[in-house]
This record gives sequence, C-alpha cells and structure tokens, in this order.
Amino acid sequence: MNRRSLALLALCLPILLLLVGCPKTEPPTPSTAGPLPSTSAATPSSPDAGETIEIAMIPKLVGIDFFNACERGAKEAAEELPGVELVFDGPTEASVEGQVEMIENYTDRGVDVIAVACNDPNAVADSLKRAVDKGITVITWDSDADAAASGRAFFVNQVRARDLAETLVDEMARQAGEDANIVIVSSTPTATNQNTWIKHMREYMAEVYPGMKEAADVLYPGEDQAAATMATQDVLKANPSINGVFGLSSNACPGAAQAVVDAGRHTEVSVVGLGTPKAMRAWVDRGEIGSTVLWDAVQLGYLTVHVAQAVARGELGPDAESFAAGRLGEVAVEGDVVVLGKPVVFTKENIADYDF
Amino acid sequence: MKETPKERRLATPETILALLLLLLLAGLSVASPEFRRPSNYLGMTRFFIEVGLIALPMTLVIITGGMDLSVGSIVALAAVTLGIAWRDWHLSIWLATALGVLVGAVAGLVNGALIVGFRIPPLIVTLATMAAYRGLAIGISRGDSIGGFPNEFRALGRGFYYLPHGIEVPGQLIYLIVFALLFRLFLARTGTGRQVYAIGLNETGAQYAGVPVGRVKLLIYSLSGAMAGLAGAVLASRMSTATSDLGLLFELDAITACVLGGVSIYGGRGSILGSMLGLCIVGSLKRGLFFLGVEARDQSILIGIVLILAVFVHQVVVPAVRNWRLRLSHSKEGSP
Repeated sequence: MNRRSLALLALCLPILLLLVGCPKTEPPTPSTAGPLPSTSAATPSSPDAGETIEIAMIPKLVGIDFFNACERGAKEAAEELPGVELVFDGPTEASVEGQVEMIENYTDRGVDVIAVACNDPNAVADSLKRAVDKGITVITWDSDADAAASGRAFFVNQVRARDLAETLVDEMARQAGEDANIVIVSSTPTATNQNTWIKHMREYMAEVYPGMKEAADVLYPGEDQAAATMATQDVLKANPSINGVFGLSSNACPGAAQAVVDAGRHTEVSVVGLGTPKAMRAWVDRGEIGSTVLWDAVQLGYLTVHVAQAVARGELGPDAESFAAGRLGEVAVEGDVVVLGKPVVFTKENIADYDF
Repeated sequence: MKETPKERRLATPETILALLLLLLLAGLSVASPEFRRPSNYLGMTRFFIEVGLIALPMTLVIITGGMDLSVGSIVALAAVTLGIAWRDWHLSIWLATALGVLVGAVAGLVNGALIVGFRIPPLIVTLATMAAYRGLAIGISRGDSIGGFPNEFRALGRGFYYLPHGIEVPGQLIYLIVFALLFRLFLARTGTGRQVYAIGLNETGAQYAGVPVGRVKLLIYSLSGAMAGLAGAVLASRMSTATSDLGLLFELDAITACVLGGVSIYGGRGSILGSMLGLCIVGSLKRGLFFLGVEARDQSILIGIVLILAVFVHQVVVPAVRNWRLRLSHSKEGSP
C-alpha cells in the first residue's frame, strides 16, 4: 500500500466512524435509556416463600479480614434461613472495573438478588440499574450507590455516620485530651464513607471540643497499609506538635499505629481509628494503642443476607420502620436504609472476642 | 520445493490460536448453559474492548522490542481530563472527549521523546511515566469521581445494537473491529509497518538501512497514547464515571493479550490478528470461568497458567512444528 491509499484510508476513517457511530445516539440504543424491545430477558417474578433465592453478595474486594468476616456472617445467615443460596465473590482489588464486570456478570447469569458494597457510587449505579431493569432485586451494603440512579431497594448501613464520627472524636478526646492536635489519615480521596465521616467529625469537634484542631491536611495513602505508615511517619516528623492520629480505614489505622509505635512515640501520640480487632490486637493488648473503633463485620454480613432475602420475598418493603433480623432482633429502618447499630469500641477487655 | 501459501498459513501461530479459541468456546459452551446463551458471545466482548484498543498499538510497540507500561495510567489521565473539561470547563462532551484523546496522544509522545531523545530503555521510561501520569490524574481530579454524563456519551460504552432474538451487540465492538483492521493494514501493508518489524529484528541494522528509527518510534508511542486516551473515554462511558483509578493494570492485560497472541517480547515478531485472538481467549476464559463458579482470585491463577502455557507453545511448539515441516519438505526435495 502506498502513501496515497493510506491518506484515503485516513480520510475514510472518520466517515466510517460517523456512519457507524451515528445510529447509536438515536433513542433506542443505549441500555440506560430505559426498557427496550428486548425479548431475551425473562419476565421477572418475585419468588414466593417456598422458592430458593440466589443471592450474589459482592464486597469491595476479597482477601482482607474485614470482608472475610462479612462473608462468615453472611454464610451463617444463609444457613439458618431456609431456601437461600449465597455466593460471596468480589474483585481481587478494590477496582471500579472489576466490580462493574462482576455485577454485570451476575446480572447476565440471572441471580435473584445482588448485594454490593460499592467502590464508586457513580460507576456501579448504571450497572445496578441494568440489573434492576432485568428484574433483579438490588441492595447495597457497607458503601451505598447513588440511590436514585441505581434503583437499589435498600442500603444496609453498618453505622450512622454521625454516631461513628462522635465515637471516634470522643475516644480521641479521652485519650489525647480535649485540645489535641490531630491529623486524619483517610483512604482514597474518593472514598464516600471516609469523606462523610470527616465532615461529621469536623462538625462535632467544632461543636463539642473547640480546642481540638487539625494540625495537618488529611492524608490519602489509599487502601495501602505500608503507604499509611510512611505518610504518618512523615507527618509526625514535619509536625512534632501532633498528638493524635485518626486512621479512617482498616489499612490506615494499623498503618498509623505501626508508625507511632515504631517511632516509640505511643506514650505521647494516640491513634484512634477503624482498625479491625485482629490487626490492632497486639498493640491494644500491650497497651500501646488504647482502643480501636469499628462495627461488627460478621453481623453486617449476617444482616445483609437477612435484608436481601426479605426484600426478594416481598417481606421488607419501603414503608417498614423496623425489621426482625434473626439473632440481631429488631433493627431500625430509616426510609430505605437499614441500620446495623452503634459502633463498637474494642479495648483490652473485649478485643479477644472478635476474630476479624 | 517451496511451501505453498496455503501450507504456510496452516503453520502460523494465528491458526493454532484460532483453533484454541474455537475449542475454548466450544468447551465452555458445553460446560455452562449461561455461556452458550446466544447473547453471551458478542455481549461479553464489552468487558475487554478497552484493553483491546490498547493491545493494538501495544502490538506495534512490542514488535519494535519496546514496552509501554504507562497505558493504564494514560487511560485514567484521559478519562479525568475528559470529565474535568466537560464538568468544570463546560466544553461539549465530544470536544471534551477529543481533548482526552489528545492528552493521551501527548502523553504517548512524551514517552516516545524520552525514549528516542535520551536513549532510555522504554521499560524504564514508561515505568516512570506510569507513576507520573497516574499521579497527574489524581492531582487533576483531586481524587474526585465525575459522573452524570449526558446520554449520548453514555451510548459510547453502554449502547447496544440489537440483532434478531434480542441479541445484544455492544456498540464499542464496532470501534475495535474498525481499528483492528486499520492497524492490520498499517502493519502488514505499509512501508512504515515493515519498518516496525525491521526495528524489532535489528535496530542498528535498520538504522543503517535508512529506516527513520526515531520517527517511527515517536509515531507508535504517540499512537499508543492516543488509543489509551480513546480507551479511557470508552471506559469512562461504560463505567459512567471518570476517576483517577480507572485503567488499573490495563497495561498488564494488554501485554498478556499480545504475548498470548504470539507477539515476541524480544521484538520482530507478531501480528494484530494474533493479539486480538489472545484478547478473545483471555476474555472468554474469564467469562466462562465466572459462569462455572470459579472465584475471581482463582481466575487470576488460571490465567497466569494459560499465559505460561502460551509462551511455551510459541517458543517451543510452533518452532518445532515449523522445523518438522521444513525437514519434511527438504526430505521430499531430496528423494526424487
């Protein structure tokens, strides 16, 4: 092929793309536009009490203690409930693409319920909408999706953001004093949960502990414990006045604790955060770290499966005010949010009872 | 006696790969009722179109003996640029998309300039820019995720054509096919395409023979960046979000497709068809394993094994078959 035909080809390319691309923008194309004249999807029917309900539960990622504990609780619920079949599977990294692929895979496979802990509220919304359109019951847990855009039925919330923020700040005031100089080690800058907690923490600090202030900008080491350790080391060196570190993810908290203990400064710097009991236990047992705050991950998984099957069977609807969830008893329902309860503070006394 | 063209075609790695793909599709279709649903075969391609768009120029890059590790980060950079340009600068969505692709091309050009200008090995340059571009994407977006794109943009990665019986064909499949044809024509039929092979076989030799090595490299690294930018736009549309953590590990997925498709990591050998077959094999395998109930972490292990097997086939089996055919034709020649 010579230069001339190449030039011709280069000319043809945009035209071809236009030809190919144009019909796509016409109304009936995007699956996001609404119901389509597709004949492939079987008409959805809400299963009766006797039928088996298949639940696909998708965590943010697999292979970390927290979600392993959720899986355990979910399996306990699936065993005690009749006619519930559970698959618990997630991406190997907390990636948007992995999770969307998984949601769409389960949609194509045709499960009854998809329950997802969202990595990105925008990203999963369209995929969840597709599942809802194909007649699948969708709920979220741990991290919510955009409720309106996704069409999800319920969000299983581990804890109210305000309750958690208050517990964290109270713990910090107890350990480091009401006028502590603090720094917040968060997750990624997009993490919805962390950003909401930070907002509430700031409000609560201003309200109740006006002497407590942020001595440095929020750190974003991502979901990476080693990076959290490094970031904490750096910020402690740069700001010697800091005497309180908030670790706002299950990686940031042990990461920050590691940095403080390694530097031998645990007597002057308090670490308060959301570490899993297992990751924090050695430090808490030795008294180097005062406590760790979290919710019970096993119960979160347990509750999610209960909610999933109840919604699928039509037993839990939009007007409910409370919900009987097996061994958890009655849990509060606020609009389309089911709340697990208050955060748990794990100290020397009770930390050994939790295995996650 | 010379091999007839037909015989030669039978011995190519592409034929073996195509057979492998058919075998795999047949096997998975028998094993899984969900996999053999007619809407599955074309529908599942939407999960790997973006990687495919990147694998096309990656094929050229690897044929020259190079490597581009920065493509995954360019995907994020382009997506974030697109998002910011649309939301904050109020550009029209298509202008913003064009800007994203342009930023990708420039990022690729920078790679090429560093590789050609300072004679730094591509692996090192793109390893550095992989971190730099990702950092830039995080910086520009401030870690925010941008969503709520207009419907016409969402059609880019979420639109379907409908065949009879409700079979969904992802719209973006058409782009991949068009670009694959263009890249194939470029590589197989143009002078520059032949120069790409020449550089990979013997760079110094090619230089002495008058191949504009620097210019060719600049071109293919820019192409790589531009295609990564386009992949970023398609991905942002399919995910309905533009964030700085899009495209993670895409470079490895694209390289996997190429290597599986018989592109030699030492340069000088490979084809677009091979890479596309490699892409389809990994993609179908992932989908099939999912339907068979294999969890994500175990899928990665299996795909690793397949990759090692593929390299074994390309390095050991294909040359062996070729030698055996050669010897066969020689012995025919010897005995009257």
